[in-house]
Amino acid sequence: MTGNFPFVVVGLVFAIGMALILFDKNLIKIAIGVSMVEAATNLFLIVLGYRTGGSIPVYTLAGEVKRMVLPTPQALTLTSIVIGVATTALMLSLIMLLYRHYGTLDVREIRRLRG
Amino acid sequence: MNWQIHLPALLIAVPLLGAFAAPAFANRRLRDVWFTVMIAATTVIAFLLWRRVGTEGIVVYVMGGENWRLTLPSGMKLPIRIIMEVDAFSAFMALSGSIVSFAGAIFSLRFLDRTTGGEKFVALYFLLTAGMLGMETTGDLFNFFVFLEIASVASYGLIAFWRNTPEAIEASFKYMLLSTIAALMVLIGVGILYGRYGALNMAAIAKSMRLGLPEKVALALFVAALAMKCGAVPLHMWVPDAYSQAPAGISCFLVSVSQASLYGLFRISFSVYGRALDTPAVAWIIIVFGILSMFIAVVMAVIQKEVKRLMAYHAVSQTGYMLLGVGVGLLALTHPQAMSEYGFTAMQGGIFHIINHAMYKGLLFLTAGSIFYASGTLDLNRLGGLARNMPYTTVMFVVSAAAIAGLPPVNGFVSKLLVYESSFAVHPILTVMALVTSILTLASFVKVFQSAFLGPARARFSEVREVPRSMLVGMTVLLVAILWLSFMPTWSLSKLVGPAAQALVDQAGYIEAIMRSGL
Amino acid sequence: MMLGTVQSGFGYWNVYAWIVFFALAAVLVFYFRSAGRSDYKVGTYQDEIFYGGNPVPKDGDEIAVPASSAYWGFTEALSPFYKLLLSLHTGIASDYVGYLVVTTALISALIVL
Repeated sequence: MTGNFPFVVVGLVFAIGMALILFDKNLIKIAIGVSMVEAATNLFLIVLGYRTGGSIPVYTLAGEVKRMVLPTPQALTLTSIVIGVATTALMLSLIMLLYRHYGTLDVREIRRLRG
Repeated sequence: MNWQIHLPALLIAVPLLGAFAAPAFANRRLRDVWFTVMIAATTVIAFLLWRRVGTEGIVVYVMGGENWRLTLPSGMKLPIRIIMEVDAFSAFMALSGSIVSFAGAIFSLRFLDRTTGGEKFVALYFLLTAGMLGMETTGDLFNFFVFLEIASVASYGLIAFWRNTPEAIEASFKYMLLSTIAALMVLIGVGILYGRYGALNMAAIAKSMRLGLPEKVALALFVAALAMKCGAVPLHMWVPDAYSQAPAGISCFLVSVSQASLYGLFRISFSVYGRALDTPAVAWIIIVFGILSMFIAVVMAVIQKEVKRLMAYHAVSQTGYMLLGVGVGLLALTHPQAMSEYGFTAMQGGIFHIINHAMYKGLLFLTAGSIFYASGTLDLNRLGGLARNMPYTTVMFVVSAAAIAGLPPVNGFVSKLLVYESSFAVHPILTVMALVTSILTLASFVKVFQSAFLGPARARFSEVREVPRSMLVGMTVLLVAILWLSFMPTWSLSKLVGPAAQALVDQAGYIEAIMRSGL
Repeated sequence: MMLGTVQSGFGYWNVYAWIVFFALAAVLVFYFRSAGRSDYKVGTYQDEIFYGGNPVPKDGDEIAVPASSAYWGFTEALSPFYKLLLSLHTGIASDYVGYLVVTTALISALIVL
């Protein structure tokens, strides 16, 4: 039962992030929501590769061990974190420009393109 | 050793080199030369790769090693390296996408003279090319996600390229919000499949695929996310915003980039899941997406007043034909008799429509771009009588509008005919919707043609001249492609489309190619 | 197999037959055009535009129908449908994310069940 606890945390963080994106009006908070969804995804990948009591997946450093944590999800997570940083930075700069053009951060008022 | 075995790697490496060297070219002439030469090189590589796949079958390329068995612990049977797998469908998509990217690049050269920071545009353009080609040639699910994100991030930057206009920033932000979430959904799906099979290679996953609850959830995430990325109704809301606000050369290219997501959707549902799918639900979801996209988007297009926004709605609507055609193929996948009777024809129609649409929609966006370049507006209420001043653009527009409306003898007709006749075998209502869509498409392009090009000469456009020669060259590339596809339908179907559809159906061959490679 | 013939499984289609057809149509059109009178006097009222007997306005804007009036009857007849569609395209980014989430949920339900 406790073994699944990390997945519950993943679900919670994901749900909070999604709720922020869907129900909050402020663009900055929406960006925070996107970051939280990203964090939940990264946590999900890390948890997938974790083996209880496992050591680091490097043969020369681990010493005499039987169980190792899976290395691939860690590589995936690193890549995904880097991508996340790029999208977050770009998103925040777009929000900055939006504020400059529209004078508001309310997502309901940024709707010149519709129909 | 033949250098051509490195073609898959070169296909990614050349545009990446183009991207990262581009900011160094502050000089305009040098920048133009670099842009043209590197994008032409990419197109040539894509063509050579397509030819090689045509003669030698599926090309497998293992990054950083001669084969994936190198340095694996003994007894391990999983391909774990970064592997590119190019079958006929991948090569077909890469060829079609790189032709469009070439045309868009040539067209953009003179556009860039009106702004500063053109070298950043060039860098992002190459990055977008690399992302698109990477998505279409990789054999690895996680790599697919990475290339998807590369293409997305580059396109956010390019959509917001006119950063002084509020609408461009708004369009870029909406696209970014949606597509970041979609990409994370793809990543979660990849994670679920990794958790089940301990592999990221598509063929390795497909080999041991047993359809259980986690696989179904992963498939649902893939289908929803990729349908959003290729702009299927009701997830299409970003398409008109993004396509209408991006510079014209980019709108033209974005059509092909969103087709890379369509490629991902088909690749995952055919090659990764394929015969393991015991329920017709996925096929029907794709067909319903297709019908909704076709009809609702074209109805929205009829009432648009801005040229590029109207064309963007048509991009959504035409995507519906591809979804419908290939969805009917997926429906027939597990029934050999249905497959030979109508399923394969439907897939040929859908896949033929991919390349047709890339060419004529690209050309339409380029003509919209040249209208904007010459007259400074895209508002249909203000345009008029441009055929007098811009004869070449008018000809290009007429040919591509005839193609998109499916008027014989132009290429749009052939692929639509194949889709109509085969979807009729599934249910007549599918064909009726497709025909109604085609009529409304014709109606809205008659409206554009009548209000932009025909009519009495307007006083405010008396100074309008034909666009510069390099822009015409960019358009001519696509015009030649359209005419080629129109007048060589048997060649196109047997050499270009047939092998691609066959590769998509042949799941066992796709798996076999990886497992046997590098012995 | 004939050159340029596409078999669709239910019928066939030939591009060159259509080209011949268009060529014939073009020949006919040019024939009818050449059968018209060519003995009108250039520069007189004979080659002026007939605009209901009124002087033709200089700027084309005054005699052109704007694009937003095209298909007025069609859009008017379907206006309830269009109202629904336009109310879906709200332009609000978080609504679009909502559609994505709802669609994903629907697809999951359909595939899993």
